[in-house]
Amino acid sequence: MRSTLINKRRVVPAGALALACACLSVVLAHAEPEKKTDQKPAPKKLTGAELYAINCNRCHPERYATEFTSAQWKTIMTHMRVRANLPAAQAKEILKFLQEDAGN
Amino acid sequence: MKISSLTLGATAAACVLGVVLTPRVAAMISDEDFNALKSMVTNQDQRIGQLEKLHEQDQQTHQQDQQTIQQLQQRLGETQTLATNAAQKAEAAAKIQPVYPIPSGTMSALHNFTMAGDAEVQFGRSEGSHSGFVLADFAPIFLFRANDNVLFEAGFDVTLQNSAVSLQNNSQTGNGDAQTAVSLSFAQLDYLYNDYVTLVAGYMVLPLGTYSERAAGWLNKIPDDPLAVDFLPGAGVGAQFRGSLPVGDSGQMVTYSVYGANGPSSVDGSGRATTLDPDGHTIPNISLNGNVGVNADGSSGNLNGNPSGGGRIGWFYPWKPHYDIELGVSGQAGPWDSGGHELWSAAVVDAAMHIGPYAEVKGEYINTWQQTTDAGTLRARGWWIQGAYKLAGLNLDAPVVNDLELVSRYDGVNDGLGTTTDRVTAGIVYYLTNTLLLEGDYEWLHSRGPAALPSNEFVVQLSYGF
Repeated sequence: MRSTLINKRRVVPAGALALACACLSVVLAHAEPEKKTDQKPAPKKLTGAELYAINCNRCHPERYATEFTSAQWKTIMTHMRVRANLPAAQAKEILKFLQEDAGN
Repeated sequence: MKISSLTLGATAAACVLGVVLTPRVAAMISDEDFNALKSMVTNQDQRIGQLEKLHEQDQQTHQQDQQTIQQLQQRLGETQTLATNAAQKAEAAAKIQPVYPIPSGTMSALHNFTMAGDAEVQFGRSEGSHSGFVLADFAPIFLFRANDNVLFEAGFDVTLQNSAVSLQNNSQTGNGDAQTAVSLSFAQLDYLYNDYVTLVAGYMVLPLGTYSERAAGWLNKIPDDPLAVDFLPGAGVGAQFRGSLPVGDSGQMVTYSVYGANGPSSVDGSGRATTLDPDGHTIPNISLNGNVGVNADGSSGNLNGNPSGGGRIGWFYPWKPHYDIELGVSGQAGPWDSGGHELWSAAVVDAAMHIGPYAEVKGEYINTWQQTTDAGTLRARGWWIQGAYKLAGLNLDAPVVNDLELVSRYDGVNDGLGTTTDRVTAGIVYYLTNTLLLEGDYEWLHSRGPAALPSNEFVVQLSYGF
Protein backbone atom coordinates (compact mmCIF):
# COMPACT_ATOMS: atom_id res chain seq x y z
CA MET A 1 0.00 0.00 0.00
CA ARG A 2 1.48 3.27 -1.03
CA SER A 3 2.15 5.51 1.83
CA THR A 4 0.05 8.66 1.85
CA LEU A 5 2.85 10.50 3.55
CA ILE A 6 4.79 12.92 1.48
CA ASN A 7 8.13 11.63 0.40
CA LYS A 8 10.51 13.17 2.91
CA ARG A 9 13.41 13.00 0.55
CA ARG A 10 11.70 15.53 -1.65
CA VAL A 11 10.16 17.66 1.12
CA VAL A 12 13.41 18.69 2.78
CA PRO A 13 15.15 20.19 -0.22
CA ALA A 14 11.91 21.66 -1.49
CA GLY A 15 11.23 23.19 1.89
CA ALA A 16 14.70 24.62 2.07
CA LEU A 17 14.20 26.14 -1.32
CA ALA A 18 10.86 27.57 -0.33
CA LEU A 19 12.35 29.01 2.85
CA ALA A 20 15.18 30.54 0.90
CA CYS A 21 12.72 32.10 -1.51
CA ALA A 22 10.66 33.46 1.33
CA CYS A 23 13.69 34.99 2.98
CA LEU A 24 14.80 36.48 -0.25
CA SER A 25 11.41 38.02 -0.90
CA VAL A 26 11.39 39.58 2.56
CA VAL A 27 14.82 40.99 2.04
CA LEU A 28 13.86 42.41 -1.33
CA ALA A 29 10.68 43.95 0.03
CA HIS A 30 12.57 45.91 2.65
CA ALA A 31 15.49 46.80 0.49
CA GLU A 32 15.80 50.56 0.01
CA PRO A 33 15.54 51.67 -3.54
CA GLU A 34 18.71 52.95 -5.04
CA LYS A 35 19.04 56.51 -4.02
CA LYS A 36 19.23 58.83 -6.92
CA THR A 37 21.66 61.59 -6.41
CA ASP A 38 19.45 64.62 -5.93
CA GLN A 39 20.88 67.39 -7.86
CA LYS A 40 18.99 70.53 -7.20
CA PRO A 41 18.89 72.67 -10.25
CA ALA A 42 20.99 75.74 -9.89
CA PRO A 43 18.83 78.62 -8.63
CA LYS A 44 17.89 80.90 -11.46
CA LYS A 45 19.28 84.38 -11.03
CA LEU A 46 16.61 87.04 -11.17
CA THR A 47 16.90 89.35 -14.13
CA GLY A 48 16.84 93.12 -13.89
CA ALA A 49 13.31 93.16 -15.26
CA GLU A 50 12.12 90.68 -12.64
CA LEU A 51 13.85 92.58 -9.84
CA TYR A 52 12.24 95.77 -11.11
CA ALA A 53 8.81 94.14 -10.96
CA ILE A 54 9.49 92.70 -7.51
CA ASN A 55 10.83 95.84 -5.86
CA CYS A 56 9.82 98.94 -7.75
CA ASN A 57 6.20 98.19 -8.57
CA ARG A 58 5.50 97.71 -4.89
CA CYS A 59 5.40 101.42 -4.24
CA HIS A 60 4.86 103.25 -7.50
CA PRO A 61 3.70 102.79 -11.07
CA GLU A 62 6.27 101.73 -13.59
CA ARG A 63 8.75 104.38 -14.68
CA TYR A 64 9.82 103.84 -18.26
CA ALA A 65 13.51 103.56 -18.96
CA THR A 66 13.33 106.27 -21.61
CA GLU A 67 12.14 108.85 -19.07
CA PHE A 68 15.68 109.53 -17.89
CA THR A 69 19.21 109.40 -19.20
CA SER A 70 21.69 106.78 -18.15
CA ALA A 71 23.42 109.17 -15.75
CA GLN A 72 20.12 110.26 -14.23
CA TRP A 73 19.10 106.67 -13.69
CA LYS A 74 22.33 106.10 -11.79
CA THR A 75 21.50 108.99 -9.47
CA ILE A 76 17.88 107.98 -9.07
CA MET A 77 18.77 104.36 -8.35
CA THR A 78 21.22 105.48 -5.67
CA HIS A 79 18.38 107.43 -4.08
CA MET A 80 16.03 104.46 -4.39
CA ARG A 81 18.59 102.03 -3.03
CA VAL A 82 18.78 104.13 0.14
CA ARG A 83 15.07 104.96 0.39
CA ALA A 84 13.78 101.45 -0.33
CA ASN A 85 16.70 99.69 1.39
CA LEU A 86 17.49 97.61 -1.69
CA PRO A 87 20.31 95.06 -1.68
CA ALA A 88 23.31 96.40 -3.57
CA ALA A 89 23.42 93.58 -6.12
CA GLN A 90 19.72 93.95 -6.92
CA ALA A 91 20.04 97.71 -7.27
CA LYS A 92 22.89 97.23 -9.75
CA GLU A 93 20.88 94.76 -11.81
CA ILE A 94 17.89 97.08 -11.90
CA LEU A 95 20.13 99.96 -12.93
CA LYS A 96 21.62 97.89 -15.73
CA PHE A 97 18.10 97.01 -16.90
CA LEU A 98 17.07 100.65 -16.97
CA GLN A 99 20.25 101.94 -18.56
CA GLU A 100 19.90 99.53 -21.48
CA ASP A 101 16.94 101.51 -22.79
CA ALA A 102 17.67 104.88 -21.20
CA GLY A 103 16.82 108.04 -23.04
CA ASN A 104 19.39 110.34 -24.60
CA MET B 1 39.72 -11.82 -102.18
CA LYS B 2 42.64 -11.20 -100.28
CA ILE B 3 43.54 -7.68 -99.37
CA SER B 4 47.11 -7.43 -99.18
CA SER B 5 48.80 -6.35 -96.02
CA LEU B 6 50.51 -3.70 -97.94
CA THR B 7 47.22 -2.14 -98.87
CA LEU B 8 46.00 -2.39 -95.36
CA GLY B 9 49.09 -0.85 -94.05
CA ALA B 10 48.92 1.96 -96.55
CA THR B 11 45.31 2.52 -95.72
CA ALA B 12 46.09 2.56 -92.01
CA ALA B 13 48.92 4.95 -92.58
CA ALA B 14 46.65 7.11 -94.59
CA CYS B 15 44.11 7.09 -91.79
CA VAL B 16 46.76 7.94 -89.29
CA LEU B 17 48.05 10.73 -91.44
CA GLY B 18 44.51 11.96 -91.87
CA VAL B 19 43.96 12.03 -88.18
CA VAL B 20 47.28 13.71 -87.52
CA LEU B 21 47.06 16.25 -90.26
CA THR B 22 43.42 17.28 -89.69
CA PRO B 23 44.15 19.61 -86.69
CA ARG B 24 46.91 21.22 -88.65
CA VAL B 25 44.49 21.92 -91.35
CA ALA B 26 41.85 23.15 -88.81
CA ALA B 27 44.42 25.48 -87.19
CA MET B 28 45.09 27.40 -90.29
CA ILE B 29 43.38 30.97 -90.23
CA SER B 30 42.89 33.43 -92.94
CA ASP B 31 45.06 36.48 -93.45
CA GLU B 32 42.21 38.79 -92.60
CA ASP B 33 41.65 37.24 -89.27
CA PHE B 34 45.35 37.33 -88.53
CA ASN B 35 45.58 40.96 -89.44
CA ALA B 36 42.58 41.72 -87.28
CA LEU B 37 44.12 39.89 -84.39
CA LYS B 38 47.38 41.66 -84.90
CA SER B 39 45.63 45.00 -84.96
CA MET B 40 43.81 44.18 -81.75
CA VAL B 41 47.01 43.23 -80.00
CA THR B 42 48.64 46.43 -81.16
CA ASN B 43 45.74 48.49 -79.81
CA GLN B 44 45.91 46.70 -76.49
CA ASP B 45 49.60 47.51 -76.27
CA GLN B 46 48.87 51.16 -76.84
CA ARG B 47 46.18 51.24 -74.19
CA ILE B 48 48.41 49.54 -71.69
CA GLY B 49 51.05 52.14 -72.40
CA GLN B 50 48.56 54.97 -71.79
CA LEU B 51 47.37 53.45 -68.52
CA GLU B 52 50.92 53.13 -67.34
CA LYS B 53 51.50 56.80 -68.05
CA LEU B 54 48.31 57.78 -66.17
CA HIS B 55 49.39 55.68 -63.23
CA GLU B 56 52.69 57.46 -63.13
CA GLN B 57 50.93 60.81 -63.16
CA ASP B 58 48.61 59.75 -60.34
CA GLN B 59 51.55 58.69 -58.31
CA GLN B 60 53.18 62.07 -58.82
CA THR B 61 49.95 63.86 -57.82
CA HIS B 62 49.67 61.72 -54.71
CA GLN B 63 53.20 62.61 -53.73
CA GLN B 64 52.43 66.28 -54.20
CA ASP B 65 49.29 65.98 -52.04
CA GLN B 66 51.29 64.33 -49.32
CA GLN B 67 53.77 67.19 -49.40
CA THR B 68 50.95 69.74 -49.21
CA ILE B 69 49.39 67.97 -46.24
CA GLN B 70 52.69 68.02 -44.43
CA GLN B 71 53.07 71.72 -45.09
CA LEU B 72 49.56 72.46 -43.78
CA GLN B 73 50.17 70.44 -40.66
CA GLN B 74 53.30 72.37 -40.04
CA ARG B 75 51.49 75.69 -40.46
CA LEU B 76 48.71 74.55 -38.10
CA GLY B 77 51.25 73.78 -35.49
CA GLU B 78 52.77 77.21 -35.88
CA THR B 79 49.34 78.90 -35.63
CA GLN B 80 48.49 77.07 -32.42
CA THR B 81 51.78 78.14 -30.96
CA LEU B 82 51.04 81.76 -31.88
CA ALA B 83 47.58 81.58 -30.30
CA THR B 84 48.95 80.16 -27.08
CA ASN B 85 51.56 82.88 -26.93
CA ALA B 86 48.93 85.56 -27.55
CA ALA B 87 46.73 84.27 -24.73
CA GLN B 88 49.67 84.23 -22.38
CA LYS B 89 50.58 87.77 -23.36
CA ALA B 90 47.02 88.97 -22.82
CA GLU B 91 46.93 87.36 -19.39
CA ALA B 92 50.20 88.97 -18.50
CA ALA B 93 48.97 92.36 -19.73
CA ALA B 94 45.87 92.16 -17.52
CA LYS B 95 48.06 91.75 -14.46
CA ILE B 96 49.94 94.90 -15.15
CA GLN B 97 48.66 97.64 -12.85
CA PRO B 98 48.21 101.04 -14.42
CA VAL B 99 50.31 103.78 -13.00
CA TYR B 100 47.17 105.71 -11.93
CA PRO B 101 44.10 103.73 -10.82
CA ILE B 102 41.29 104.15 -13.31
CA PRO B 103 38.10 105.08 -11.46
CA SER B 104 34.93 103.17 -12.31
CA GLY B 105 32.42 104.72 -14.66
CA THR B 106 34.97 106.67 -16.61
CA MET B 107 32.61 106.80 -19.54
CA SER B 108 30.08 108.86 -17.58
CA ALA B 109 30.60 111.82 -15.31
CA LEU B 110 30.97 111.10 -11.62
CA HIS B 111 28.77 114.05 -10.66
CA ASN B 112 25.16 114.28 -11.59
CA PHE B 113 22.34 116.55 -10.52
CA THR B 114 18.81 115.35 -10.99
CA MET B 115 15.52 116.76 -9.81
CA ALA B 116 12.56 114.57 -9.06
CA GLY B 117 9.43 115.13 -6.99
CA ASP B 118 5.75 115.73 -7.43
CA ALA B 119 3.04 118.37 -7.47
CA GLU B 120 -0.62 118.24 -6.48
CA VAL B 121 -3.63 120.42 -7.15
CA GLN B 122 -6.78 119.73 -5.22
CA PHE B 123 -10.41 120.65 -5.29
CA GLY B 124 -12.29 119.74 -2.21
CA ARG B 125 -14.73 120.54 0.49
CA SER B 126 -14.91 119.64 4.10
CA GLU B 127 -18.02 120.08 6.22
CA GLY B 128 -18.46 123.63 7.41
CA SER B 129 -16.21 125.06 4.70
CA HIS B 130 -16.69 126.25 1.18
CA SER B 131 -15.41 124.13 -1.63
CA GLY B 132 -12.40 125.45 -3.41
CA PHE B 133 -9.17 124.79 -5.29
CA VAL B 134 -5.92 124.33 -3.38
CA LEU B 135 -2.34 124.09 -4.58
CA ALA B 136 -1.85 121.26 -2.22
CA ASP B 137 1.86 120.79 -2.67
CA PHE B 138 4.85 121.31 -4.90
CA ALA B 139 7.45 118.92 -3.57
CA PRO B 140 10.74 118.94 -5.48
CA ILE B 141 13.47 116.52 -4.53
CA PHE B 142 17.03 117.50 -5.36
CA LEU B 143 19.47 114.66 -5.88
CA PHE B 144 23.17 115.35 -6.19
CA ARG B 145 25.38 112.32 -6.81
CA ALA B 146 28.99 113.08 -5.94
CA ASN B 147 30.26 109.67 -6.97
CA ASP B 148 29.16 106.05 -6.90
CA ASN B 149 28.98 106.03 -3.10
CA VAL B 150 27.87 109.53 -2.09
CA LEU B 151 24.48 111.11 -2.60
CA PHE B 152 23.05 114.30 -1.13
CA GLU B 153 19.28 114.54 -1.31
CA ALA B 154 16.82 117.14 -0.12
CA GLY B 155 13.07 117.47 -0.41
CA PHE B 156 10.91 120.54 0.01
CA ASP B 157 7.23 121.22 0.37
CA VAL B 158 6.10 124.47 -1.20
CA THR B 159 2.55 125.41 -0.32
CA LEU B 160 0.31 128.45 -0.55
CA GLN B 161 -1.78 129.78 2.26
CA ASN B 162 -3.44 133.05 3.07
CA SER B 163 -1.57 135.30 5.42
CA ALA B 164 -3.20 136.17 8.73
CA VAL B 165 -4.35 139.75 9.12
CA SER B 166 -5.39 141.20 12.41
CA LEU B 167 -8.75 142.95 12.23
CA GLN B 168 -9.62 145.96 14.28
CA ASN B 169 -13.01 144.79 15.49
CA ASN B 170 -12.90 142.20 18.26
CA SER B 171 -9.25 141.54 17.46
CA GLN B 172 -10.28 138.94 14.97
CA THR B 173 -7.89 137.51 12.47
CA GLY B 174 -8.68 137.85 8.80
CA ASN B 175 -7.19 136.48 5.63
CA GLY B 176 -4.68 138.57 3.75
CA ASP B 177 -2.70 138.01 0.62
CA ALA B 178 -1.41 134.64 -0.33
CA GLN B 179 1.94 133.73 1.00
CA THR B 180 4.28 130.95 0.07
CA ALA B 181 5.33 128.52 2.70
CA VAL B 182 8.46 126.50 2.09
CA SER B 183 9.36 123.73 4.45
CA LEU B 184 12.18 121.27 4.32
CA SER B 185 10.82 117.74 4.41
CA PHE B 186 14.24 116.14 4.49
CA ALA B 187 17.89 116.91 3.72
CA GLN B 188 20.32 114.08 4.20
CA LEU B 189 23.73 112.90 3.12
CA ASP B 190 23.93 109.24 2.11
CA TYR B 191 27.25 107.40 2.14
CA LEU B 192 27.08 103.86 0.74
CA TYR B 193 29.86 102.39 2.83
CA ASN B 194 29.55 98.88 1.36
CA ASP B 195 26.93 96.54 -0.05
CA TYR B 196 25.26 96.13 3.32
CA VAL B 197 25.73 99.39 5.21
CA THR B 198 24.71 102.92 4.28
CA LEU B 199 25.37 105.87 6.57
CA VAL B 200 22.72 108.58 6.51
CA ALA B 201 23.07 111.89 8.32
CA GLY B 202 21.09 115.11 8.39
CA TYR B 203 17.40 115.82 8.56
CA MET B 204 16.43 112.27 7.80
CA VAL B 205 13.20 110.59 6.88
CA LEU B 206 12.68 108.34 9.90
CA PRO B 207 11.95 104.63 9.37
CA LEU B 208 8.96 104.48 11.74
CA GLY B 209 6.65 102.25 9.76
CA THR B 210 6.91 102.58 5.99
CA TYR B 211 4.35 105.28 5.18
CA SER B 212 6.68 108.23 5.71
CA GLU B 213 9.48 106.74 3.64
CA ARG B 214 7.20 105.74 0.77
CA ALA B 215 4.75 108.64 0.74
CA ALA B 216 4.46 111.22 -1.99
CA GLY B 217 1.54 112.88 -3.68
CA TRP B 218 1.69 110.67 -6.74
CA LEU B 219 2.38 107.53 -4.71
CA ASN B 220 -0.48 107.90 -2.27
CA LYS B 221 -3.67 106.66 -3.83
CA ILE B 222 -5.72 108.68 -1.34
CA PRO B 223 -4.89 112.39 -1.03
CA ASP B 224 -5.10 112.50 2.78
CA ASP B 225 -2.58 110.71 4.96
CA PRO B 226 -3.74 108.12 7.47
CA LEU B 227 -4.78 109.83 10.70
CA ALA B 228 -2.40 107.86 12.94
CA VAL B 229 0.68 108.96 10.98
CA ASP B 230 0.35 112.34 12.70
CA PHE B 231 1.40 110.68 15.97
CA LEU B 232 4.87 109.95 14.57
CA PRO B 233 7.77 112.25 13.66
CA GLY B 234 8.19 111.91 9.92
CA ALA B 235 11.72 113.26 9.99
CA GLY B 236 14.38 114.05 12.55
CA VAL B 237 17.88 115.46 12.74
CA GLY B 238 20.39 112.72 13.45
CA ALA B 239 22.40 109.89 11.96
CA GLN B 240 21.41 106.45 10.80
CA PHE B 241 22.85 103.15 9.62
CA ARG B 242 20.65 101.22 7.24
CA GLY B 243 20.98 98.39 4.80
CA SER B 244 19.65 95.19 3.40
CA LEU B 245 20.70 91.57 3.71
CA PRO B 246 19.56 89.40 0.81
CA VAL B 247 18.38 85.89 1.67
CA GLY B 248 18.94 83.48 -1.18
CA ASP B 249 18.37 84.38 -4.80
CA SER B 250 14.58 84.71 -4.82
CA GLY B 251 14.54 88.38 -3.87
CA GLN B 252 13.88 87.70 -0.21
CA MET B 253 15.63 90.13 2.13
CA VAL B 254 15.90 91.38 5.67
CA THR B 255 16.22 95.14 6.02
CA TYR B 256 17.40 97.12 8.99
CA SER B 257 17.67 100.73 10.12
CA VAL B 258 19.22 102.01 13.33
CA TYR B 259 19.31 105.70 14.12
CA GLY B 260 19.82 108.37 16.70
CA ALA B 261 18.01 111.70 16.53
CA ASN B 262 17.24 114.70 18.71
CA GLY B 263 13.71 113.42 19.22
CA PRO B 264 10.46 115.21 20.15
CA SER B 265 10.47 118.28 22.33
CA SER B 266 8.19 120.16 24.72
CA VAL B 267 6.43 123.29 23.40
CA ASP B 268 6.76 125.16 26.68
CA GLY B 269 9.71 123.14 27.99
CA SER B 270 7.70 121.46 30.75
CA GLY B 271 6.56 117.89 31.04
CA ARG B 272 2.89 118.78 31.15
CA ALA B 273 0.49 117.11 28.73
CA THR B 274 -0.99 120.31 27.28
CA THR B 275 -0.26 124.00 26.98
CA LEU B 276 -2.05 127.09 25.65
CA ASP B 277 -1.52 128.75 22.28
CA PRO B 278 -1.55 132.57 21.86
CA ASP B 279 -5.34 132.47 21.41
CA GLY B 280 -5.80 130.58 24.62
CA HIS B 281 -6.68 127.32 22.97
CA THR B 282 -5.44 124.13 24.57
CA ILE B 283 -2.96 122.34 22.42
CA PRO B 284 -0.75 119.28 22.95
CA ASN B 285 2.52 120.22 24.64
CA ILE B 286 4.70 118.05 22.42
CA SER B 287 6.35 118.92 19.12
CA LEU B 288 7.34 115.83 17.22
CA ASN B 289 9.46 117.53 14.54
CA GLY B 290 10.52 120.73 16.27
CA ASN B 291 13.78 119.70 17.86
CA VAL B 292 16.28 120.54 15.14
CA GLY B 293 19.27 121.48 17.25
CA VAL B 294 19.12 125.27 16.72
CA ASN B 295 16.67 127.22 18.86
CA ALA B 296 14.58 130.25 18.02
CA ASP B 297 17.01 132.48 19.91
CA GLY B 298 19.92 131.17 17.87
CA SER B 299 21.37 129.00 20.57
CA SER B 300 22.23 125.45 19.62
CA GLY B 301 21.53 122.27 21.46
CA ASN B 302 19.04 119.54 22.04
CA LEU B 303 15.80 120.75 23.61
CA ASN B 304 15.56 117.70 25.80
CA GLY B 305 18.03 115.95 28.01
CA ASN B 306 19.31 113.25 25.67
CA PRO B 307 18.87 112.17 22.03
CA SER B 308 16.35 109.53 21.10
CA GLY B 309 17.15 106.21 19.48
CA GLY B 310 15.14 104.03 17.18
CA GLY B 311 15.14 101.57 14.34
CA ARG B 312 13.22 99.23 12.12
CA ILE B 313 13.69 95.66 11.09
CA GLY B 314 11.76 94.30 8.16
CA TRP B 315 11.33 91.08 6.25
CA PHE B 316 10.36 90.95 2.61
CA TYR B 317 9.46 87.78 0.77
CA PRO B 318 8.41 87.61 -2.89
CA TRP B 319 7.28 84.23 -4.13
CA LYS B 320 7.18 85.67 -7.63
CA PRO B 321 7.02 89.13 -9.22
CA HIS B 322 3.94 91.01 -8.03
CA TYR B 323 3.26 88.43 -5.33
CA ASP B 324 4.95 89.36 -2.09
CA ILE B 325 4.59 90.11 1.58
CA GLU B 326 6.47 92.51 3.82
CA LEU B 327 6.38 92.72 7.60
CA GLY B 328 8.17 95.24 9.77
CA VAL B 329 8.54 96.33 13.36
CA SER B 330 9.92 99.73 14.30
CA GLY B 331 10.18 101.98 17.30
CA GLN B 332 11.78 104.99 18.91
CA ALA B 333 12.31 106.08 22.50
CA GLY B 334 13.87 109.05 24.29
CA PRO B 335 13.13 112.00 26.57
CA TRP B 336 10.92 114.82 25.29
CA ASP B 337 10.83 117.46 27.97
CA SER B 338 13.64 119.93 28.50
CA GLY B 339 14.49 118.35 31.84
CA GLY B 340 15.02 114.99 30.18
CA HIS B 341 12.87 113.17 32.73
CA GLU B 342 9.76 112.27 30.75
CA LEU B 343 10.00 109.59 28.09
CA TRP B 344 8.32 109.52 24.70
CA SER B 345 8.28 106.25 22.81
CA ALA B 346 6.59 104.74 19.81
CA ALA B 347 6.09 101.28 18.35
CA VAL B 348 4.83 100.53 14.86
CA VAL B 349 3.93 97.29 13.18
CA ASP B 350 3.62 97.50 9.41
CA ALA B 351 2.52 94.98 6.81
CA ALA B 352 1.97 94.98 3.07
CA MET B 353 0.96 92.33 0.59
CA HIS B 354 0.67 92.24 -3.19
CA ILE B 355 -1.51 89.56 -4.70
CA GLY B 356 -0.74 89.86 -8.36
CA PRO B 357 -0.12 93.00 -10.37
CA TYR B 358 -3.59 94.37 -9.67
CA ALA B 359 -4.29 93.94 -5.95
CA GLU B 360 -2.57 95.17 -2.83
CA VAL B 361 -3.37 95.58 0.84
CA LYS B 362 -1.26 97.33 3.45
CA GLY B 363 -1.56 98.85 6.87
CA GLU B 364 0.08 99.90 10.10
CA TYR B 365 -0.64 99.83 13.80
CA ILE B 366 0.89 102.76 15.65
CA ASN B 367 1.17 103.14 19.40
CA THR B 368 2.90 105.94 21.30
CA TRP B 369 3.51 106.56 24.97
CA GLN B 370 4.16 110.02 26.37
CA GLN B 371 4.99 110.29 30.03
CA THR B 372 3.73 113.56 31.53
CA THR B 373 4.03 115.24 34.89
CA ASP B 374 0.32 115.96 35.21
CA ALA B 375 -1.66 113.41 33.20
CA GLY B 376 0.19 110.19 33.58
CA THR B 377 1.21 108.41 30.38
CA LEU B 378 -0.70 109.50 27.32
CA ARG B 379 -1.25 106.86 24.68
CA ALA B 380 -1.88 108.36 21.29
CA ARG B 381 -2.52 105.42 19.04
CA GLY B 382 -4.18 104.38 15.85
CA TRP B 383 -4.19 102.10 12.87
CA TRP B 384 -5.00 102.06 9.22
CA ILE B 385 -5.60 99.45 6.56
CA GLN B 386 -5.86 100.19 2.86
CA GLY B 387 -6.75 98.03 -0.09
CA ALA B 388 -6.53 98.80 -3.79
CA TYR B 389 -7.51 96.98 -6.96
CA LYS B 390 -6.68 97.89 -10.55
CA LEU B 391 -9.65 97.19 -12.80
CA ALA B 392 -7.30 96.04 -15.55
CA GLY B 393 -7.33 92.77 -13.65
CA LEU B 394 -10.88 92.16 -14.84
CA ASN B 395 -9.61 91.83 -18.44
CA LEU B 396 -12.56 93.79 -19.75
CA ASP B 397 -10.56 95.20 -22.67
CA ALA B 398 -12.08 98.63 -22.08
CA PRO B 399 -9.57 101.48 -22.41
CA VAL B 400 -10.85 103.77 -19.65
CA VAL B 401 -11.70 100.98 -17.25
CA ASN B 402 -8.22 99.47 -17.59
CA ASP B 403 -6.73 102.72 -16.27
CA LEU B 404 -8.90 102.86 -13.16
CA GLU B 405 -7.99 101.71 -9.69
CA LEU B 406 -10.41 101.39 -6.78
CA VAL B 407 -9.00 102.18 -3.34
CA SER B 408 -10.44 102.14 0.15
CA ARG B 409 -9.03 102.86 3.56
CA TYR B 410 -10.32 102.32 7.06
CA ASP B 411 -8.49 104.11 9.86
CA GLY B 412 -9.07 104.97 13.46
CA VAL B 413 -7.22 107.00 16.09
CA ASN B 414 -7.33 107.93 19.74
CA ASP B 415 -5.20 110.99 20.46
CA GLY B 416 -4.82 110.15 24.12
CA LEU B 417 -6.37 113.46 25.08
CA GLY B 418 -9.98 112.43 24.74
CA THR B 419 -10.62 112.60 21.01
CA THR B 420 -11.31 109.52 18.93
CA THR B 421 -11.92 109.42 15.21
CA ASP B 422 -12.95 106.67 12.84
CA ARG B 423 -12.86 107.23 9.14
CA VAL B 424 -13.87 105.30 6.06
CA THR B 425 -12.51 106.51 2.74
CA ALA B 426 -13.62 105.32 -0.67
CA GLY B 427 -11.69 106.52 -3.64
CA ILE B 428 -10.85 105.97 -7.25
CA VAL B 429 -7.70 106.70 -9.21
CA TYR B 430 -7.54 107.30 -12.95
CA TYR B 431 -4.07 106.96 -14.45
CA LEU B 432 -3.83 109.53 -17.22
CA THR B 433 -0.20 108.43 -17.62
CA ASN B 434 2.08 106.33 -15.47
CA THR B 435 2.81 109.36 -13.25
CA LEU B 436 -0.19 111.65 -13.82
CA LEU B 437 -3.03 110.61 -11.56
CA LEU B 438 -6.53 111.95 -11.13
CA GLU B 439 -7.74 110.90 -7.72
CA GLY B 440 -11.06 111.37 -6.04
CA ASP B 441 -12.28 110.21 -2.70
CA TYR B 442 -15.04 110.72 -0.19
CA GLU B 443 -14.36 110.43 3.51
CA TRP B 444 -16.91 109.56 6.18
CA LEU B 445 -15.60 110.65 9.56
CA HIS B 446 -17.02 109.99 12.96
CA SER B 447 -15.06 112.09 15.43
CA ARG B 448 -15.79 112.72 19.08
CA GLY B 449 -13.92 114.79 21.64
CA PRO B 450 -12.40 118.20 22.19
CA ALA B 451 -10.42 118.04 18.93
CA ALA B 452 -13.12 116.43 16.82
CA LEU B 453 -12.65 116.65 13.06
CA PRO B 454 -15.29 117.68 10.51
CA SER B 455 -17.67 114.91 9.60
CA ASN B 456 -17.30 114.33 5.94
CA GLU B 457 -15.25 115.67 3.10
CA PHE B 458 -14.51 115.00 -0.50
CA VAL B 459 -11.32 115.70 -2.39
CA VAL B 460 -10.38 115.55 -6.04
CA GLN B 461 -6.67 115.73 -6.72
CA LEU B 462 -4.53 115.90 -9.82
CA SER B 463 -1.09 114.61 -8.95
CA TYR B 464 2.01 114.47 -11.11
CA GLY B 465 5.22 112.68 -10.30
CA PHE B 466 8.40 113.75 -12.09
